[in-house]
Amino acid sequence: MKDPYETLGVARTASAEDIRKAYRRLAKKLHPDLNPGNNKLEEQFKEVASANALLSDPDKRQRFDSGEIDASGAERPRQRFYKDFAAEASAGHPYENRSGFADFADSDDFFAELLRRQAEQARRAPGQDLHYRLAIEFLDAVNGVAKRLTLPDGGTLDVTIPPGIEEGQILRLRGKGAPSAGEGEPGDALVEISVSPHRFFSRHADDIHLDLPITLTEAVLGSRVRVPTPAGAVTLTIPKGSNTGAVLRLKGKGVPRPGSHGDELVRLKVILPSQPDAELEAFLATWKPETNYDPRRDMQP
Amino acid sequence: MIISKLEFLDRTQLDLETLEVWIEEEWLVPSGTATDQAFSEADLARAKLIQDLMQDLGVNEEGVGVILNLLDQVHGLRRALADILQAARKRSTRPDASSRANLDE
Repeated sequence: MKDPYETLGVARTASAEDIRKAYRRLAKKLHPDLNPGNNKLEEQFKEVASANALLSDPDKRQRFDSGEIDASGAERPRQRFYKDFAAEASAGHPYENRSGFADFADSDDFFAELLRRQAEQARRAPGQDLHYRLAIEFLDAVNGVAKRLTLPDGGTLDVTIPPGIEEGQILRLRGKGAPSAGEGEPGDALVEISVSPHRFFSRHADDIHLDLPITLTEAVLGSRVRVPTPAGAVTLTIPKGSNTGAVLRLKGKGVPRPGSHGDELVRLKVILPSQPDAELEAFLATWKPETNYDPRRDMQP
Repeated sequence: MIISKLEFLDRTQLDLETLEVWIEEEWLVPSGTATDQAFSEADLARAKLIQDLMQDLGVNEEGVGVILNLLDQVHGLRRALADILQAARKRSTRPDASSRANLDE
Protein backbone atom coordinates (compact mmCIF):
# COMPACT_ATOMS: atom_id res chain seq x y z
CA MET A 1 0.00 0.00 0.00
CA LYS A 2 1.52 3.27 -1.08
CA ASP A 3 1.65 6.35 1.06
CA PRO A 4 -1.64 8.18 0.44
CA TYR A 5 0.07 11.58 0.44
CA GLU A 6 2.39 10.34 -2.27
CA THR A 7 -0.51 8.85 -4.22
CA LEU A 8 -2.32 12.18 -4.27
CA GLY A 9 0.94 14.09 -4.74
CA VAL A 10 0.41 16.42 -1.79
CA ALA A 11 2.58 17.36 1.15
CA ARG A 12 1.85 15.93 4.59
CA THR A 13 0.95 19.44 5.65
CA ALA A 14 -1.55 19.91 2.81
CA SER A 15 -4.85 21.55 3.72
CA ALA A 16 -8.18 19.83 3.16
CA GLU A 17 -8.73 22.13 0.20
CA ASP A 18 -5.36 21.10 -1.31
CA ILE A 19 -6.31 17.46 -0.96
CA ARG A 20 -9.70 18.05 -2.54
CA LYS A 21 -8.09 19.83 -5.47
CA ALA A 22 -5.43 17.18 -5.92
CA TYR A 23 -8.04 14.44 -5.89
CA ARG A 24 -10.25 16.29 -8.34
CA ARG A 25 -7.32 16.79 -10.72
CA LEU A 26 -6.39 13.11 -10.62
CA ALA A 27 -9.97 11.83 -10.78
CA LYS A 28 -10.64 13.86 -13.91
CA LYS A 29 -7.75 12.08 -15.56
CA LEU A 30 -8.23 8.62 -14.07
CA HIS A 31 -11.95 8.04 -13.48
CA PRO A 32 -12.65 4.60 -14.99
CA ASP A 33 -15.90 5.73 -16.56
CA LEU A 34 -14.04 8.41 -18.45
CA ASN A 35 -11.46 5.82 -19.58
CA PRO A 36 -13.47 2.72 -20.42
CA GLY A 37 -11.21 -0.15 -21.39
CA ASN A 38 -8.08 1.11 -19.67
CA ASN A 39 -7.61 -1.23 -16.73
CA LYS A 40 -4.27 0.23 -15.72
CA LEU A 41 -5.87 3.59 -15.05
CA GLU A 42 -8.66 1.88 -13.13
CA GLU A 43 -6.14 0.38 -10.71
CA GLN A 44 -4.53 3.79 -10.33
CA PHE A 45 -7.88 5.42 -9.75
CA LYS A 46 -8.72 2.94 -7.02
CA GLU A 47 -5.50 3.86 -5.22
CA VAL A 48 -6.23 7.54 -5.60
CA ALA A 49 -9.83 7.10 -4.44
CA SER A 50 -8.83 5.17 -1.34
CA ALA A 51 -6.08 7.70 -0.57
CA ASN A 52 -8.70 10.43 -0.87
CA ALA A 53 -11.16 8.53 1.29
CA LEU A 54 -8.49 8.36 3.97
CA LEU A 55 -7.19 11.90 3.78
CA SER A 56 -10.47 13.72 3.16
CA ASP A 57 -11.86 12.40 6.44
CA PRO A 58 -10.20 14.54 9.17
CA ASP A 59 -10.66 11.85 11.78
CA LYS A 60 -9.17 9.07 9.67
CA ARG A 61 -6.38 11.36 8.48
CA GLN A 62 -5.44 12.21 12.03
CA ARG A 63 -5.41 8.54 13.02
CA PHE A 64 -3.29 7.70 9.98
CA ASP A 65 -0.83 10.51 10.77
CA SER A 66 -0.43 9.27 14.31
CA GLY A 67 0.15 5.74 13.00
CA GLU A 68 -3.05 4.28 14.45
CA ILE A 69 -4.25 2.90 11.12
CA ASP A 70 -2.37 2.10 7.96
CA ALA A 71 -3.20 3.27 4.47
CA SER A 72 -5.43 0.28 3.83
CA GLY A 73 -7.73 1.50 6.61
CA ALA A 74 -9.67 3.55 4.13
CA GLU A 75 -10.06 0.84 1.57
CA ARG A 76 -13.62 0.00 0.84
CA PRO A 77 -15.03 -2.14 -1.89
CA ARG A 78 -16.09 0.14 -4.66
CA GLN A 79 -19.25 -0.84 -6.48
CA ARG A 80 -18.91 -1.64 -10.14
CA PHE A 81 -18.40 1.27 -12.48
CA TYR A 82 -20.94 2.19 -15.10
CA LYS A 83 -18.58 1.17 -17.91
CA ASP A 84 -18.71 -2.43 -16.66
CA PHE A 85 -22.45 -2.49 -17.30
CA ALA A 86 -22.20 -0.68 -20.59
CA ALA A 87 -19.69 -3.29 -21.76
CA GLU A 88 -21.82 -6.27 -20.81
CA ALA A 89 -22.91 -8.07 -23.91
CA SER A 90 -26.08 -9.54 -22.47
CA ALA A 91 -27.51 -6.51 -20.69
CA GLY A 92 -29.87 -4.10 -22.37
CA HIS A 93 -28.38 -0.78 -23.34
CA PRO A 94 -31.00 1.89 -23.20
CA TYR A 95 -28.28 4.52 -23.15
CA GLU A 96 -25.98 3.33 -25.87
CA ASN A 97 -25.92 5.73 -28.75
CA ARG A 98 -24.70 4.88 -32.22
CA SER A 99 -25.89 7.92 -34.07
CA GLY A 100 -22.38 9.38 -34.03
CA PHE A 101 -21.01 7.08 -36.71
CA ALA A 102 -23.93 6.45 -38.99
CA ASP A 103 -21.86 8.01 -41.75
CA PHE A 104 -19.55 4.98 -41.66
CA ALA A 105 -22.32 2.95 -43.19
CA ASP A 106 -22.55 5.04 -46.35
CA SER A 107 -19.98 3.08 -48.27
CA ASP A 108 -20.42 -0.47 -49.44
CA ASP A 109 -17.70 -2.46 -47.78
CA PHE A 110 -17.41 -5.07 -45.06
CA PHE A 111 -17.61 -2.60 -42.17
CA ALA A 112 -20.58 -0.81 -43.64
CA GLU A 113 -22.32 -4.17 -43.93
CA LEU A 114 -21.61 -4.95 -40.27
CA LEU A 115 -22.89 -1.60 -39.09
CA ARG A 116 -25.99 -2.00 -41.19
CA ARG A 117 -26.62 -5.42 -39.70
CA GLN A 118 -26.27 -3.98 -36.21
CA ALA A 119 -28.64 -1.16 -37.00
CA GLU A 120 -31.08 -3.71 -38.39
CA GLN A 121 -30.81 -5.74 -35.20
CA ALA A 122 -31.45 -2.67 -33.08
CA ARG A 123 -34.45 -1.80 -35.22
CA ARG A 124 -35.92 -5.27 -34.79
CA ALA A 125 -35.32 -5.36 -31.06
CA PRO A 126 -38.59 -5.96 -29.23
CA GLY A 127 -40.12 -3.30 -27.02
CA GLN A 128 -39.71 -3.32 -23.28
CA ASP A 129 -41.77 -5.45 -20.97
CA LEU A 130 -44.02 -3.38 -18.73
CA HIS A 131 -44.71 -4.41 -15.16
CA TYR A 132 -48.06 -3.96 -13.45
CA ARG A 133 -49.56 -5.04 -10.17
CA LEU A 134 -53.15 -6.11 -9.78
CA ALA A 135 -54.89 -6.76 -6.47
CA ILE A 136 -57.84 -9.14 -6.63
CA GLU A 137 -60.34 -10.57 -4.17
CA PHE A 138 -59.77 -13.96 -2.61
CA LEU A 139 -62.77 -15.53 -4.31
CA ASP A 140 -61.83 -14.09 -7.70
CA ALA A 141 -58.44 -15.74 -7.32
CA VAL A 142 -60.06 -19.10 -6.62
CA ASN A 143 -62.80 -18.93 -9.24
CA GLY A 144 -61.08 -16.86 -11.91
CA VAL A 145 -62.25 -13.48 -13.14
CA ALA A 146 -61.89 -11.05 -16.02
CA LYS A 147 -60.45 -7.68 -14.98
CA ARG A 148 -59.81 -4.47 -16.82
CA LEU A 149 -56.69 -2.61 -15.79
CA THR A 150 -56.59 1.13 -16.34
CA LEU A 151 -53.08 2.13 -17.35
CA PRO A 152 -51.35 5.33 -16.26
CA ASP A 153 -51.44 6.58 -19.85
CA GLY A 154 -55.23 6.25 -19.89
CA GLY A 155 -55.37 3.03 -21.90
CA THR A 156 -56.91 -0.17 -20.65
CA LEU A 157 -55.70 -3.72 -20.50
CA ASP A 158 -58.03 -6.71 -20.27
CA VAL A 159 -56.68 -9.42 -18.04
CA THR A 160 -58.30 -12.84 -17.82
CA ILE A 161 -57.35 -14.38 -14.53
CA PRO A 162 -57.50 -18.16 -14.60
CA PRO A 163 -59.12 -19.98 -11.66
CA GLY A 164 -56.72 -20.94 -8.90
CA ILE A 165 -54.18 -18.16 -9.36
CA GLU A 166 -51.86 -17.65 -6.41
CA GLU A 167 -50.42 -14.66 -4.61
CA GLY A 168 -47.34 -13.32 -6.42
CA GLN A 169 -48.02 -15.20 -9.64
CA ILE A 170 -47.19 -13.22 -12.78
CA LEU A 171 -49.37 -13.25 -15.87
CA ARG A 172 -47.60 -12.52 -19.14
CA LEU A 173 -49.75 -10.78 -21.74
CA ARG A 174 -47.87 -11.21 -24.95
CA GLY A 175 -47.49 -8.08 -27.05
CA LYS A 176 -49.15 -5.79 -24.50
CA GLY A 177 -45.91 -4.13 -23.39
CA ALA A 178 -44.15 -1.08 -24.75
CA PRO A 179 -43.91 -0.82 -28.54
CA SER A 180 -40.53 -1.45 -30.12
CA ALA A 181 -38.37 1.60 -30.73
CA GLY A 182 -37.91 0.33 -34.27
CA GLU A 183 -39.98 -2.22 -36.13
CA GLY A 184 -39.69 -5.11 -33.69
CA GLU A 185 -42.43 -6.83 -31.78
CA PRO A 186 -43.90 -4.95 -28.83
CA GLY A 187 -42.82 -6.19 -25.39
CA ASP A 188 -45.04 -8.07 -23.00
CA ALA A 189 -47.11 -6.81 -20.10
CA LEU A 190 -46.26 -8.62 -16.89
CA VAL A 191 -49.04 -8.46 -14.32
CA GLU A 192 -48.18 -9.49 -10.80
CA ILE A 193 -51.22 -10.69 -8.90
CA SER A 194 -51.77 -10.00 -5.24
CA VAL A 195 -54.68 -11.64 -3.48
CA SER A 196 -56.42 -9.98 -0.55
CA PRO A 197 -57.28 -12.28 2.36
CA HIS A 198 -60.82 -13.52 2.91
CA ARG A 199 -62.93 -13.03 6.03
CA PHE A 200 -63.24 -16.75 6.77
CA PHE A 201 -61.61 -18.77 4.01
CA SER A 202 -57.90 -19.39 3.94
CA ARG A 203 -55.94 -21.19 1.29
CA HIS A 204 -53.27 -23.86 1.58
CA ALA A 205 -52.07 -24.90 -1.86
CA ASP A 206 -55.26 -26.06 -3.57
CA ASP A 207 -57.21 -26.73 -0.38
CA ILE A 208 -59.51 -24.20 1.24
CA HIS A 209 -59.59 -24.15 5.02
CA LEU A 210 -62.59 -22.91 6.96
CA ASP A 211 -63.36 -22.76 10.68
CA LEU A 212 -67.04 -23.57 11.11
CA PRO A 213 -68.71 -22.56 14.38
CA ILE A 214 -71.42 -25.03 15.48
CA THR A 215 -73.73 -25.11 18.45
CA LEU A 216 -73.40 -27.55 21.32
CA THR A 217 -76.59 -29.26 20.18
CA GLU A 218 -75.29 -29.73 16.62
CA ALA A 219 -72.06 -31.17 18.00
CA VAL A 220 -73.69 -33.64 20.35
CA LEU A 221 -76.67 -34.73 18.29
CA GLY A 222 -75.27 -34.29 14.80
CA SER A 223 -76.90 -32.12 12.16
CA ARG A 224 -77.00 -31.04 8.56
CA VAL A 225 -75.82 -27.44 8.11
CA ARG A 226 -75.20 -25.11 5.19
CA VAL A 227 -71.49 -24.36 4.74
CA PRO A 228 -70.04 -21.68 2.46
CA THR A 229 -67.57 -22.81 -0.20
CA PRO A 230 -65.90 -20.60 -2.82
CA ALA A 231 -68.43 -21.91 -5.35
CA GLY A 232 -71.49 -21.33 -3.13
CA ALA A 233 -73.06 -22.90 -0.04
CA VAL A 234 -73.42 -26.68 0.26
CA THR A 235 -75.03 -28.93 2.85
CA LEU A 236 -72.64 -30.67 5.23
CA THR A 237 -73.55 -33.52 7.54
CA ILE A 238 -72.06 -33.12 10.98
CA PRO A 239 -71.83 -36.58 12.55
CA LYS A 240 -73.18 -37.19 16.03
CA GLY A 241 -70.65 -36.41 18.76
CA SER A 242 -68.39 -34.15 16.67
CA ASN A 243 -65.78 -32.28 18.68
CA THR A 244 -64.05 -28.94 18.34
CA GLY A 245 -61.07 -29.46 16.06
CA ALA A 246 -62.64 -32.28 14.06
CA VAL A 247 -61.95 -31.75 10.35
CA LEU A 248 -64.52 -32.67 7.69
CA ARG A 249 -63.47 -32.84 4.09
CA LEU A 250 -65.69 -31.53 1.29
CA LYS A 251 -64.22 -33.29 -1.71
CA GLY A 252 -63.67 -31.13 -4.76
CA LYS A 253 -64.89 -27.92 -3.15
CA GLY A 254 -61.42 -26.38 -3.03
CA VAL A 255 -59.51 -24.57 -5.76
CA PRO A 256 -60.54 -25.76 -9.22
CA ARG A 257 -57.75 -27.03 -11.44
CA PRO A 258 -57.90 -28.62 -14.82
CA GLY A 259 -57.96 -32.34 -14.05
CA SER A 260 -57.92 -32.10 -10.29
CA HIS A 261 -59.73 -30.16 -7.63
CA GLY A 262 -58.62 -29.11 -4.21
CA ASP A 263 -60.85 -29.89 -1.22
CA GLU A 264 -62.45 -27.70 1.37
CA LEU A 265 -61.44 -28.69 4.87
CA VAL A 266 -63.98 -27.66 7.47
CA ARG A 267 -62.72 -27.50 11.02
CA LEU A 268 -65.48 -27.58 13.60
CA LYS A 269 -65.56 -25.22 16.53
CA VAL A 270 -68.17 -25.78 19.23
CA ILE A 271 -69.53 -22.48 20.49
CA LEU A 272 -71.50 -22.24 23.73
CA PRO A 273 -74.44 -19.84 23.96
CA SER A 274 -73.12 -16.32 24.43
CA GLN A 275 -75.49 -15.70 27.35
CA PRO A 276 -75.47 -18.00 30.41
CA ASP A 277 -78.26 -20.52 29.99
CA ALA A 278 -80.03 -21.54 33.20
CA GLU A 279 -81.45 -24.76 31.83
CA LEU A 280 -78.09 -25.91 30.46
CA GLU A 281 -76.44 -25.10 33.77
CA ALA A 282 -79.11 -27.01 35.70
CA PHE A 283 -78.73 -30.01 33.41
CA LEU A 284 -74.95 -30.10 33.64
CA ALA A 285 -75.04 -29.77 37.44
CA THR A 286 -76.90 -33.08 37.66
CA TRP A 287 -75.26 -34.74 34.64
CA LYS A 288 -73.11 -37.83 35.35
CA PRO A 289 -71.10 -38.96 32.28
CA GLU A 290 -71.52 -42.71 31.58
CA THR A 291 -67.87 -43.33 30.82
CA ASN A 292 -64.71 -41.93 32.32
CA TYR A 293 -64.69 -38.42 30.91
CA ASP A 294 -61.37 -36.68 31.52
CA PRO A 295 -60.08 -34.74 28.50
CA ARG A 296 -56.84 -33.91 30.37
CA ARG A 297 -55.98 -37.53 31.06
CA ASP A 298 -52.82 -37.37 28.91
CA MET A 299 -51.58 -34.22 30.60
CA GLN A 300 -51.18 -35.73 34.06
CA PRO A 301 -47.58 -35.32 35.16
CA MET B 1 -32.24 -7.43 -10.99
CA ILE B 2 -34.96 -4.83 -10.67
CA ILE B 3 -34.66 -2.06 -8.11
CA SER B 4 -37.68 -0.10 -6.96
CA LYS B 5 -37.66 3.69 -6.92
CA LEU B 6 -37.57 3.75 -3.13
CA GLU B 7 -34.65 1.35 -2.91
CA PHE B 8 -32.89 3.29 -5.65
CA LEU B 9 -33.22 6.51 -3.68
CA ASP B 10 -31.91 4.77 -0.62
CA ARG B 11 -28.92 3.20 -2.33
CA THR B 12 -27.89 6.36 -4.16
CA GLN B 13 -28.69 8.69 -1.25
CA LEU B 14 -30.48 10.91 -3.75
CA ASP B 15 -33.51 12.97 -2.92
CA LEU B 16 -36.65 12.43 -4.93
CA GLU B 17 -36.59 15.87 -6.52
CA THR B 18 -33.04 15.43 -7.85
CA LEU B 19 -33.85 11.99 -9.21
CA GLU B 20 -36.86 13.37 -11.02
CA VAL B 21 -34.76 16.11 -12.60
CA TRP B 22 -32.23 13.51 -13.75
CA ILE B 23 -34.98 11.42 -15.30
CA GLU B 24 -36.46 14.54 -16.88
CA GLU B 25 -33.04 15.30 -18.39
CA GLU B 26 -32.87 11.68 -19.59
CA TRP B 27 -29.64 11.14 -17.72
CA LEU B 28 -31.42 8.12 -16.33
CA VAL B 29 -34.05 6.19 -18.24
CA PRO B 30 -35.78 3.75 -15.88
CA SER B 31 -37.95 1.01 -17.29
CA GLY B 32 -41.47 0.23 -16.13
CA THR B 33 -44.31 2.73 -16.13
CA ALA B 34 -44.38 6.39 -15.16
CA THR B 35 -46.01 5.59 -11.84
CA ASP B 36 -44.06 2.42 -11.17
CA GLN B 37 -40.50 3.01 -12.29
CA ALA B 38 -38.01 0.17 -12.18
CA PHE B 39 -34.25 0.64 -12.08
CA SER B 40 -31.39 -1.70 -12.91
CA GLU B 41 -27.92 -2.17 -11.45
CA ALA B 42 -26.67 -0.31 -14.53
CA ASP B 43 -28.89 2.66 -13.63
CA LEU B 44 -27.43 2.55 -10.13
CA ALA B 45 -23.86 2.61 -11.45
CA ARG B 46 -24.80 5.41 -13.82
CA ALA B 47 -26.26 7.46 -10.97
CA LYS B 48 -23.04 6.90 -9.04
CA LEU B 49 -21.10 8.15 -12.08
CA ILE B 50 -23.24 11.29 -12.21
CA GLN B 51 -22.57 11.83 -8.52
CA ASP B 52 -18.82 11.38 -9.09
CA LEU B 53 -18.94 13.88 -11.93
CA MET B 54 -20.80 16.51 -9.93
CA GLN B 55 -19.27 16.04 -6.50
CA ASP B 56 -15.71 14.84 -7.08
CA LEU B 57 -14.92 16.23 -10.50
CA GLY B 58 -16.69 19.58 -10.17
CA VAL B 59 -18.73 19.16 -13.36
CA ASN B 60 -21.80 21.39 -13.47
CA GLU B 61 -25.24 20.28 -14.66
CA GLU B 62 -24.75 21.37 -18.24
CA GLY B 63 -21.48 19.50 -18.35
CA VAL B 64 -23.00 16.27 -17.05
CA GLY B 65 -25.41 16.12 -19.98
CA VAL B 66 -22.60 16.68 -22.47
CA ILE B 67 -20.38 14.07 -20.85
CA LEU B 68 -23.11 11.44 -20.67
CA ASN B 69 -23.99 11.97 -24.30
CA LEU B 70 -20.37 11.57 -25.37
CA LEU B 71 -19.90 8.57 -23.08
CA ASP B 72 -22.97 6.88 -24.55
CA GLN B 73 -21.48 7.38 -27.98
CA VAL B 74 -18.14 6.02 -26.80
CA HIS B 75 -19.84 2.88 -25.54
CA GLY B 76 -21.76 2.57 -28.79
CA LEU B 77 -18.49 2.85 -30.71
CA ARG B 78 -16.71 0.41 -28.42
CA ARG B 79 -19.43 -2.15 -29.01
CA ALA B 80 -19.42 -1.60 -32.76
CA LEU B 81 -15.65 -1.96 -32.79
CA ALA B 82 -15.83 -5.13 -30.69
CA ASP B 83 -18.39 -6.59 -33.09
CA ILE B 84 -16.27 -5.70 -36.07
CA LEU B 85 -13.15 -7.20 -34.53
CA GLN B 86 -15.04 -10.36 -33.68
CA ALA B 87 -16.36 -10.68 -37.21
CA ALA B 88 -12.92 -9.98 -38.66
CA ARG B 89 -11.38 -12.64 -36.41
CA LYS B 90 -13.99 -15.16 -37.51
CA ARG B 91 -13.08 -14.50 -41.11
CA SER B 92 -9.38 -14.84 -40.53
CA THR B 93 -9.73 -18.17 -38.71
CA ARG B 94 -11.60 -19.60 -41.71
CA PRO B 95 -9.53 -18.19 -44.57
CA ASP B 96 -10.76 -20.75 -47.10
CA ALA B 97 -14.47 -20.51 -46.33
CA SER B 98 -15.21 -18.17 -49.20
CA SER B 99 -13.14 -20.09 -51.76
CA ARG B 100 -14.91 -23.32 -50.81
CA ALA B 101 -18.27 -21.65 -51.25
CA ASN B 102 -17.20 -20.66 -54.74
CA LEU B 103 -16.36 -24.26 -55.57
CA ASP B 104 -19.78 -25.48 -54.47
CA GLU B 105 -21.58 -23.19 -56.82
